Amino acid sequence: MPTLANYLIASGLLFAIGLGGVMLRRSIIIIFMSLELMLSAANLSLVAFSRYGLVSGHQNFDVQVLVFFIITVAAAEVAVGLAIIVSLYRARQTTHVEDLDTLKF
Amino acid sequence: MNTLLLEIAVVVLGIVLLLVEAYSNRANKNYLAYTGAAGLFGVLVLSFFPMHAPAAGSPSAAFITHDVLSVFFVRFTLIATIVTLLMIPGYRPVLERYLPAERAGGGVGEFAILPLFVCAGLMWMVSSIDFIMIFVSLELATITLYILATYLRQNAASLEAGTKFLILGALSTGFIVYGISWIFGTTGTTNLLALPAAIQRLPESALTPLLFGIAMVLVALSFKISAFPFQFWVPDVYQGAPTPVTSYLSVASKAAGFVVLIRLLVVLGTVPVISHKLHAVITLLAALTLIFGNFAAIPQTNMKRLLGYSSVAHAGYLLMAVASLGSKMAIPAIGFYLAGYLAMTMLAFVVLTVVSEVTGGDEISRFNGLGRRSPLLAGAMLLASASLAGIPFTAGFIGKLLIFEVAINQGHYGLVALGCVTVAAGFYYYFKVIRAMYWQQPAEETPIRVTFTVKLLIALLGAGILAFGIYPAPLLSALR
Repeated sequence: MPTLANYLIASGLLFAIGLGGVMLRRSIIIIFMSLELMLSAANLSLVAFSRYGLVSGHQNFDVQVLVFFIITVAAAEVAVGLAIIVSLYRARQTTHVEDLDTLKF
Repeated sequence: MNTLLLEIAVVVLGIVLLLVEAYSNRANKNYLAYTGAAGLFGVLVLSFFPMHAPAAGSPSAAFITHDVLSVFFVRFTLIATIVTLLMIPGYRPVLERYLPAERAGGGVGEFAILPLFVCAGLMWMVSSIDFIMIFVSLELATITLYILATYLRQNAASLEAGTKFLILGALSTGFIVYGISWIFGTTGTTNLLALPAAIQRLPESALTPLLFGIAMVLVALSFKISAFPFQFWVPDVYQGAPTPVTSYLSVASKAAGFVVLIRLLVVLGTVPVISHKLHAVITLLAALTLIFGNFAAIPQTNMKRLLGYSSVAHAGYLLMAVASLGSKMAIPAIGFYLAGYLAMTMLAFVVLTVVSEVTGGDEISRFNGLGRRSPLLAGAMLLASASLAGIPFTAGFIGKLLIFEVAINQGHYGLVALGCVTVAAGFYYYFKVIRAMYWQQPAEETPIRVTFTVKLLIALLGAGILAFGIYPAPLLSALR
């Protein structure tokens, strides 16, 4: 039977992998995937917290509506984000962060 | 009237205008910006009628509040959006240049409609008292701003700015939701007002995860208000984004970020265990932001980038007041500063839009000899720069004075000393623009024609700067 700690560790790992991906990877598509991973990490911990209840021990399902909002917002963000990345590719033929160097002082 | 009515009116206005745009064949899309501005002005008038929060027990009562702060900043957001919309007709040639369409004016109309949705998002954000509501309204505003920042999709700078904004904005979203999940996990509530009582009941061991969650949320808010060390997206995004969007980002979106920060810190300030730690962090953030914003602005040669660093610098002054929230005058000082900041920054961007359209670039050298080509534009820019630098008889001066006063009241002598040094640095870089306008030779002598809308904006914003600077009492009393 998994405990709350197991879920929190999994979610912390997901968040760390996502953050690491954003910092280290050079392709915007991969960076964007990592960002989605960070949102999933938050979802997992929210659901785990609401199921187990860290302090009182009572289940509290209020916050699961936030999980649905996060899923919806992530979908909207992907719709806009991929459109931006596609138009970037059309204009510059690249999706690498090193090539984004027009704006330097 | 229920205060939710205002936001609903703005969203309905946006949807109606989208439909009108879809079914209209007119090539000139200026009417959309004017209709949007007129509609928002109607909402602004409506906001002066007696309003009340959603009735206790109704589903939205736990999410939306109606207090002095929310009333002031709902109007603030509306005014900032109206000014932005009125800047768009002058910006239309740039939009049409970078958005080639089969049909004349195709793809240009939405640029004047999307700010309405950002406006609704920010209005909700400044009145929300629940993390769920804060998150959803923040995303409504931010995702729409991604589209607006990337709007010139054949312009490399705009695309790059939009991509950077997208990635760093999404990163801050990740931080805020993960932070919210830990705050909920320890306290069992997402409501800001229920937070202090829930924290009092916590065992000692639960404080560390709670502080972790709060730190995550603070990181995300620092992105929004462009506090050091999370300001690195600001110069690039400000420089690359379309000018009206830049002005909107630097004023409305930053102000909403500050309101959420204030609400969170006021609530947590009632819990001594946490407020001591937070106080030290905010003081440090304020000092670093002041130093970075002012000194990095000095070598800039691009006007939009300069205003980007200047916006970081102003976030530093505002954070000084946020660090002094213990004083009763802190929130009025922040509101006053932001109102003055709206007038002076938007005035600078209005002039910049005209000048860069005529001369074809955003560099400070494009302002050379503006005093001879258009005394009106140069005078407006002079007033805006003087106020941004903080010269007496302008809103910028009174704003800084009020903030230094609350900081001294709360014993932040180090911050005030630092503030005085950075104000001096500010004089230097704002003076560069004034020198270019009045002491440099213009590249060409032809006078610049100024449209009626621009004259109106200059008159209103300039009057605002002087009125707040000479007679600040009415604005301050609106905040008490």
